[in-house]
Formats: sequence, structure tokens, C-alpha cells
Amino acid sequence: MSSPVQSLPNSEHPGGEILPPARILITGASGLLGRSVAAHLAELGYQVTTFQRSPSSLETVRDIRGSLTDPQAVQAAVEGQDAIIHMAAKVSVSGRREEFEQVNILGTERIFNAAWAAGVQHVLYVSSPSVAHGGSSLVGAPAAAADPEKAQGHYAQTKAEAELIAEARGSAGTSVLIMRPHLVWGPGDGQLTARIVDRARSGRLPVLGSGAPLVDTLYIRNAVEAFAAGLRRLPLIAAEQPVAGRRLVVTNGEPRPIGELLAGIAEAGGAPRPRFRVPASLAAAAGSVIEKLWAVTGPHEDEPPMTRFLAEQLSTAHWFDQRHTQQVLQWRPRISIDQGLAELAAHVQRTGGVL
Amino acid sequence: MVIFRPIPAAAARSPFDVLESTPLPGLDPQWSRVVTARTEDGERGFHVLDTAEALAQRGITPTGTILAVHGNPTWSYLWRGVIAASLEQARPGHAWRVIAPDQLDMGFSERLAHPEPPSAGAPSYRRLEQRLGDLDALMDALDVDAELPLVTLGHDWGGIISLGWAVRHQQAVDAAVCLNTAVDHPSGEPVPPALRAAMAPGVLAGSTVVTDAFLRVTLALAEGGLSDDVAAAYRAPYVSHLGRGGIGGFVADIPALAAHRSRGVLEEISAGLSRWSKPALLIWGPKDPVFRDRYLQDLMERIPHADLHRFEGAGHLVSEDRDVAGVLFDWLGQQFDAAAQPSASPAPAAEVAGLHQQLETMSLSWRRDRPAAVDMSSDGAPAVLTWAQLSEQVEALAAGLHSLGVRSGDRVSLLVPPGNSLTVVLYACLRLGAVAVVADAGLGVRGMTRAVRSARPDWIIGARPGLTLARTMSWPGRRISTEPLPPHQARLLGTVASVERLRRGADPRALQELPHPEPEHPAAVLFTSGSTGPAKGVVYTHRRLGALVALLRHQFAVKPGASLIAGFAPFALLGPAIGATSVTPRMSVTKPSTLTAEAVAAAAAAGEATMFFGSPAALRNVVATADRLSVAQREDLGRIRLVLSAGAPVHPRLLDQVQEIFPAAEIHTPYGMTEGLLQADIRREQIHEAMKTSQPGVCVGRPVAGVRFALAPLQADGTSAADLVEPEQAGGALSEIVVSAAHLKAGYDRLWHTDWTSRRDTRDGLLWHRTGDVGHIDDAGRLWIQGRLQHVITTAAGPVGPGAVETPVDELDQVARSAAVGVGPVGAQAVVVILEPAEGRRLRDGRSPLARPEVAQAVRAAAGEVSVSAVLVVDWLPTDIRHNSKIDRTALAAWAEKVLAGERVSAP
Repeated sequence: MSSPVQSLPNSEHPGGEILPPARILITGASGLLGRSVAAHLAELGYQVTTFQRSPSSLETVRDIRGSLTDPQAVQAAVEGQDAIIHMAAKVSVSGRREEFEQVNILGTERIFNAAWAAGVQHVLYVSSPSVAHGGSSLVGAPAAAADPEKAQGHYAQTKAEAELIAEARGSAGTSVLIMRPHLVWGPGDGQLTARIVDRARSGRLPVLGSGAPLVDTLYIRNAVEAFAAGLRRLPLIAAEQPVAGRRLVVTNGEPRPIGELLAGIAEAGGAPRPRFRVPASLAAAAGSVIEKLWAVTGPHEDEPPMTRFLAEQLSTAHWFDQRHTQQVLQWRPRISIDQGLAELAAHVQRTGGVL
Repeated sequence: MVIFRPIPAAAARSPFDVLESTPLPGLDPQWSRVVTARTEDGERGFHVLDTAEALAQRGITPTGTILAVHGNPTWSYLWRGVIAASLEQARPGHAWRVIAPDQLDMGFSERLAHPEPPSAGAPSYRRLEQRLGDLDALMDALDVDAELPLVTLGHDWGGIISLGWAVRHQQAVDAAVCLNTAVDHPSGEPVPPALRAAMAPGVLAGSTVVTDAFLRVTLALAEGGLSDDVAAAYRAPYVSHLGRGGIGGFVADIPALAAHRSRGVLEEISAGLSRWSKPALLIWGPKDPVFRDRYLQDLMERIPHADLHRFEGAGHLVSEDRDVAGVLFDWLGQQFDAAAQPSASPAPAAEVAGLHQQLETMSLSWRRDRPAAVDMSSDGAPAVLTWAQLSEQVEALAAGLHSLGVRSGDRVSLLVPPGNSLTVVLYACLRLGAVAVVADAGLGVRGMTRAVRSARPDWIIGARPGLTLARTMSWPGRRISTEPLPPHQARLLGTVASVERLRRGADPRALQELPHPEPEHPAAVLFTSGSTGPAKGVVYTHRRLGALVALLRHQFAVKPGASLIAGFAPFALLGPAIGATSVTPRMSVTKPSTLTAEAVAAAAAAGEATMFFGSPAALRNVVATADRLSVAQREDLGRIRLVLSAGAPVHPRLLDQVQEIFPAAEIHTPYGMTEGLLQADIRREQIHEAMKTSQPGVCVGRPVAGVRFALAPLQADGTSAADLVEPEQAGGALSEIVVSAAHLKAGYDRLWHTDWTSRRDTRDGLLWHRTGDVGHIDDAGRLWIQGRLQHVITTAAGPVGPGAVETPVDELDQVARSAAVGVGPVGAQAVVVILEPAEGRRLRDGRSPLARPEVAQAVRAAAGEVSVSAVLVVDWLPTDIRHNSKIDRTALAAWAEKVLAGERVSAP
């Protein structure tokens, strides 16, 4: 059998790096992270195509609209690319398991199948630290292997399955790098940042327990640069690192107490600091009740206000050893948390909101 | 009623062949073999752990042999850590083969038939003599290269047997190593109660063979408790009573009575040991209810040249409690491989005189009727001793102590509060060559008890509170009271004499016959503050204390006739040796923070003092109470020309306040440690100057005369490099401070491994001391300290000394003091700062441990380049008792780790 893997023209990756003007497909560019990465890569001179259901509203990239559940659309998007950044996923804490499986597991398989068929050699798979851990504290943790048994909630479980698929493909011909950004925030982020600010404004943002657990986060601009570094160095990392070394948790490397982070983001967003405290155990109990209520009363537009998983996330430590990540990416976060908060505050003052 | 049923014989077997469901964690099947040996009563099967095959497989030829003998009721499993370590270290040209047999009737070796229950006369059980013969037979059966060094290793009964075997084979055995054991039990003395219970004739068989009581009790002696797997492995050969015959046999063979059949052999061994001239090492767990410290003492008396490492806090199963293998192999390396350790020191600052010389000179000079010691520690008028009186009292007491039996080399624990009587007792001891053990009350009762037990004094001289403590806590040593006691009290406290009577009753002329102690004789054992683990005993010789005296005189221009107020004990005790008047001010010894400005002024007036030595806590209180000073008192303090703050670094802000109280004084903060009391020195003005350079840590100045510094740069994992560099070569890198000087410690007391570790450097053929302090030396040659080596925070960006963060954070108005600790894994730790608020400041909301965001922000800004993850607030930072200034960062780190993982915890 002749290899379907084509080698890239040498000019595009001297020394094994993927450099502009290589052709890059980014799936899931409607979210802040995907859109920002796409825009940044285009700025660097890469030829960027994005693939998602809604338009990316970026002028510097080529949009292909389609769904991960549609094999033909996927194949068409993948064709002719040099590398893929697979970011699209169903991200929420509620919903039916089948929907998660369709997008997160089967969608990932389709991407890899299409890449193989089209001879696209390099895939950067975007995952989440939650694929490897349950509710226990993570203290300076390494990037452990994905484990669907340990992961909690449909999102993390299906992402864990998908990451195992990506990892397997990485040992079977495709060069794969897995990056797990942890809690991305910043101006324009509707998922975490805007919700924290909204809730704080309406006085509905509690501090769970002591608010002391250390949590790692990742400022959006650092995230974008980390992904650019990951893409550029993907062939080298995939070739040189053992399986465990190709999984990278990416954070600012500045763990902070969760209570302090929430207060900082709320204040940067012009909202008061959260004042009232809820015992962590109570929040976890309430979370599981609300989860069930949400399930039987759904479908809902919004996420449930509290889940058991979220309660545990907010009351245990989650921070990571960043030495390996920074070393193989040859990347350092340039914006500190405090600088990021200042940027966020300036953005909110200028535009009137987080988004 | 327990019923003994006869035990049949059974062959030896490998545990890996017979055990089905019991894992043996730490044991490799490759080590296990069954050996047949021709013993005095025929061929017997022994199960042996032997690394010959494991070494052969790696192509390594052993260069030495260790014969390891277990005790009762353990088996060769006891030595798995030693075996594993031996293989880990083995390399071509350097490898110890370890042979660890199971004794007959024990472990997985052959079981003898026992028709009768064990008792002292029961013939079917092995006796000591036979067990020695068994070892002969076994060593014959094993192919041991007789040309190579041979070392014996034993524990418990295996200690007696291995030492006995070594004594009988003096020519072949090159060194003997032993863990908790005893080679002598005076037949008149009672057996330790823990063992007596098992030995009672009606109980013996029941507790050892029929039931597993003795086994269970022994395994419970591991201090941290054994894991279930390990305990099961120890029990594995003894689960059935059919396997336990040997346990009873061993207990029955304890020759507690003079008529016991093994008594003769035991006496042969203990006598032989007294003639043992080869290297010996004892590794001891003091919390052993059977082999208590007096057996250690007996062993040390028999083998005075033995090295001893006493693991404070470890128990009978010391090899389960601590890294015994680490000590063993470092020691073997030193004995068989290393070049001789250097013992030279740089030349002392000035000529060294005997510690007595100045006292004698002063008492014969025109100053003979001037005060030598002024004691204001009790109510009423100051108690004054002139030089003549002090000299006379010292000589009289020395003569009295000698007549009582105190000899050169005896250890004398001093439980006397600072004041004139302590001075007299100390110098009397020094005159005799007796070694003063100074365990100060600053260690707390538990710390003092540990310290005194570890030093094992022959005598205790104390005031009533000290003696009561000694009595209650059963400290070793014959007791002497400072004051004469009424007979009933003397009986109650168990004293044999009083200082008063000894001094009055003795003929000082007897002293003329007695030589002065040699410079290399030990003079004193001082104790570290214990803020970083159990207090360690530090031994000083006469020469090294003399060098310290010479240095003090040189550095601070203390001339004979000067007078010093002693708010800091170690220097105060040296007053008579310096030739300076020492004034003990009124303060509580255990709480230096009780020293008031008025008490200092009173001391200054009474003693016409020109110098004041204090600890930081004392200085703080002097400043705090300065507003009560009268005009006259201020004048008295105005005559002080030197203030010395010792014990811990102080902030120059405090020194500025001190300067206001002592306007004429030069204010110095010397840097040193119990192991070397004065290493560097700096004046208040120089601190201010140094601080302008904004370097991390606290500037402690330049080395004093006769002190050489070298640096061991820190590595990413927070340990210090093996090789030393000169200060100029380190380029300001964070390093462990290493020092060499004539007035350093002679060594740590009974802590062979700690001592060896601290003095392992050999640069320039000098004796060095690893201080455990970290810091850097700047271009101007100034030393900056950033904390202790074990408190270094290993961040991803490199190691950080706590002081690099604490010094600038302490500058913040709202902060009284701070501690920087690391949480998380080595090499990727997050920096956490814990604040003690300045008085009246609230730095947190409600009961939250988190600092308010604006406080955290201020701390982060102060910390500069070091990235601070979290800022926590507590009401009080835990500190040591002695100085009330050394923050317990280890406890704080453990606390912060929990808090920051979301656990609910109370204050540290």
C-alpha cells in the first residue's frame, strides 16, 4: 500500500516546523478561542480555513460552514490542508449523552479519517484537563492520561474517549499533539468571563467554601500564542516525545485561589466582589439536585446554575506542572494574570461589556 | 489455660515457594535461596537472602561481604532495605554482597522438633553457643571470598550473635555494625518490664509459641506503624504455632540469671567486645522499651571508638522507621573507600588561651576585687562575685566535684538558670575536664528531655525545678543540687550532694595535682534550637571554645575590665573566659521577650556595663518598654557602647529604635549558629547601606576574622551541589553557605550520619561545615541569608529562598511578619505567603484564610520577580520557644498545602 501521507514542501517546514504560508484548518472557530487562534494564525501568514456551523465572521480566513456530524462536509474541509487544529466540541455541563457522543467522539473520528484519506499529516487536538481527573484535588499535577472512567459529566467523558482516539491515531501514522487549555478567560469570552461578571452583577456569584483552592487559568492571548507555538512545533513534538509527552496541559502557570480569581474577574468587569459564601458540601448537594431537575424539566437554553461537577471544580485545587509544556512549546505566557485583569477592565470600560 | 502441643521438625524452604497469598513487598525472589550447612548436630537447612546471584547477573564481582543477622521474632525480611540499597549502589569495583540468613527455627529456615515447651533448660531449643556455631557452618557452606572485607550487621538477638561471631573471628571480620541490641545484662538488675512479662515461666510458652502475642507486640514497636503488607510479611513464617518454636526458644535463652546456661557465652562476648579494636557503628532507635539507652551506654563503654547514630524518635524496629541503609553505606564508604577526612581549620582570629586562663589572671591582677559576675535574676540586691571570689568558688567546687567522683570526660548536665551559680558550676566543670551539657529551658520540657537523654550525662547539676523535672522524666545521671536540700527533699529528688556543701567541704589543694584539660578534649555539648527537627547536640572542644573567646575579644574589642549585660546565654557564659564582667539582668530565661528596658538599665547601673548582648525578642521588648525609662536610667543606657543582637536576623527598623535607646552604642548583628556562634558581622549603618542595593534576603555582613566561606549552589530540586565553589565563582547564585573556622563545632553528638553529612567537604584540606542556611554573597563580599535549605521553595523558575520574599513583605505596614512556603511537587512548587497582621490590622474577611485582594496585591508587588500564588493570613505564625523568632515553615507549608487544596483546617 502506498502511503497516503504527503510530505509538505520543504519551504513550509524547514527544521520540521509548520510555518506560514502552510494551509491550516481550524474546526470550531465560532468560540472565542477558535476565532482568536484563527485570526492570529492568519495574521502570521498562514492560509487559514475554518469549519463550523455558523460563520466565523473573520475576514482574513476562508469559512467552510458545516457540521462535524456530516462526513462529506468534513472531508471537503480537510482536503488540501497541511494541518488541522481540531477544536470543535459540544461544550456544556448539561444535555443528553448521545449529542456529546455524536460531536465529540464520532466527530473526532471523522476528522482523523478524513485527514488520513486526504493525506493531512498533522493534527493538533484540543482537549481539556477534565478528561483525566475526577473531583479530587490536583496540586502541581502532570498531564495524566485521559480516562473516561474517571472523567465526570458527559462532556469530559466523551472528550476523554475522543482524546484516546487522537492518541491512538498519533501512534498510527498521523502526527498528533494534544493540548488541554485550562479555564481560558479574557475579553470576548462568553463562557466563563461573561458569566462570572453577569452573576456578580446580579449578586448571584457565591464563593464556595473557603475560596482558597488554587486554580490554574489561561489568559486568552497566552492561549492563542500557545496554540500558534503548538502548531508550529507539532511535527517535532510528535516525532520526539513519547505518548505522555505529547499531552500538554496549558495554563498561565500562575495558580491563584479561586475566590481571588472570581473577585478579580468580577471587579475587572465592573461588578462587585462576590460576598456571600456557601459551604462546599452544600453546593455539591445542591448541584446534584439541580442537575436532576434540569434533566427532567429540559430542554433549557441556559446551563444549570450549579452542578455537582462544578461545585467540586470550585472547591478543590486544580493546578498543573507547566515545565514540560513550556519546554516543548518553547513558549512562555507573556501576559500575567494581573496584566490580563487590567486588559479586561480596560476592554469592559471601552466597550461596556465583556463580549 | 494454654496448652503446649509438640512441634514436629520441618525442612527449610523459600518463602516464594510456600506463600500463596502473602506478598513480600520489597523482597526479590532472586535473593532467596536454601542452603544446607553442617552444624554441630548434623546437616541443617537455612533459608538465606543472598545477593551473590543478583550481582553475578549484572557482571559485578563483590568487593566486600556483609553478614546480616536478624533477631527475635523477625526474619531476614528485616534487611530488605539494606539489600536493595546495596544493589542500587553496586558497580564494578565497588559492591557489597549481602548475606542475610534466617536463623534456625526462625523465618523460613528448618524447624527443629520440640517435644517440650521452651524453657531455660529445654534441650531441643537452640542456645547462644549453638547459634554462633550455626553461623560458622553457614559461612562455610556459602562461598564467601575470605580475602575481601567482611562486615557483620545485627539487630536485637541477632546483634548479640553477630557481635559474638565478630569477636570470635577478630582476624576475619573488618567492621561490626549493630542496631538496637544488648550484649550484657547485669544479672542483678531487673529485666526490662516489657520483656519480663514474656519471660515469666508460666507465660513464656503461651505468649511466644502457643499464641502470637510476642510477635504482635514486637511488630507494633515500629514507630510509624507498619503497613498491612509489611506486617503480614513479618508474620508470614510464624502464623502457625508450629512455626513459632524458635520465638519461644530465643526468649528462653535470655540469660537474665547468673545461673543461665548461656550466661557464660554472653559474658565471653561482652568481655570480648571490650577488646574490639576495629571500626564499629551503632545505629539506635531510642524509643525501644526493651533495649533502652542504658544498653547503648554499655555498648559505648565497651567500644568507646564506635561511631553512633542515634535516630531521635525511632524505635526498636529502627530499620523500619528510618533510612538505616543510607547511614550504613555512607559509613562503610567512609571506612573502606574515602580518603582521610581533613581536620584542619583556618587560623583563629587571635591567640587561643585556656578557658580558665583569664579567670586566673584576673583573680591575681589589680582587678581581683572588682565584680566578675553580677546576678540580678532574683529579687533583692544584686549578687556580686569578684574575680577573686569567682576564682576561689570555681576551684573549690571543682575540687569538691572531683572528690565526689566527677572525672575528666564525664558529662555533666547543667539545669541551672543563668546567673552566678551557673557560671561557677560551668567553670568548675571546665576546670576538671568534665563536659558541660547545656540543654536550655528554651527547648521546652519535651525537647530538653530528648536532649538530655541523647547526651546521656553521668551527672546532673540543677536547681530545684530542674531536678524535679529530671526526677519526673527519669533523666539519666547522678543528681547534685545547687542549694543544700533538707534530707527528705534530697531523698525525693534523689540527689547525692549539693554544690554548696561540695564547695565548702573540699580542699582546693587537691586540684593542684589535677592537670588542666587538653585542648582537644570535649568541653561542652550545646543544643540547636530544634526549630528544624529534634534539637541536635553540638560538641565543642576546649580549643574550639577558646578560639571563640579569642574571636569575641578580637571582633568586639572586649578588653579585660569590660562589662557586658547578658541577655543571650551562649555569649554570656563566656564572660569569665573573655575577662569581662557578666551581668545577668532580670528576665525569664524561657522568655527572652520578658526583658524590659528598665531591667537593662538596672543591670547597666549595677555592673557599670558597656555592652549589651540580646536576642531579637529581648530587643523588641526593650524597645516596647522604653517609654517607662527615667532620665537617670536613660543615662545609664547612654554609657553602653556596644549592642549585639544574636540568634536570628532583625529588621534595621528595630535596630534604629534600639539606637534611640542606646545613643552611644555601635549596634551589631552577628550571624552564626549553635555550630559556629559567630561567622559574620554587620553594623546597623551597614545594613541600611546594603539594603539600598535591593538584593534578596537579609544582609548579615562580611566574614569575621578567621572565617572562610564557600558556597554550594542550589540545584533545581532544591538540594545543594556536591562540590563547593569560592564566593566569587558563584556569581551571586542562591547557594548553601558552607563555612570553615577554628571556632566551629568539633562535631554533632551521637549523630554520626548528621555529622558526616555536615562535614563531607574536603576543599583545600579544611574541615568545613554545611550550615543548612541558603543565601548568596554579593560583589562587595557581603553575605545575604534567605533562609534554611529545607525551606527552599522549588518553583519552575528555579529555587527561591523564603527570605527573598519575606524581607520585602515584612516591610509592608500592615504586616507584622511573614513566612514564604512552597506547595506542590518539587520543582514545580507554587509560592505561598502567610502573613501575621500588624497589631490592630485586619487583613482578611471573616474567617476566610485568604488575604483581602488588595493585601494580596501589595504582597505580590513587594515580592517583585517571585510569582506569589496565594496570600494567606493567620493570627500568629508558629515559632520556636528559644528565640521566639524562628518561624516553623515546615508546619506552615503542610497547613497551606491543605488550605489551598480546599480542605477544611483550623489555624496552623
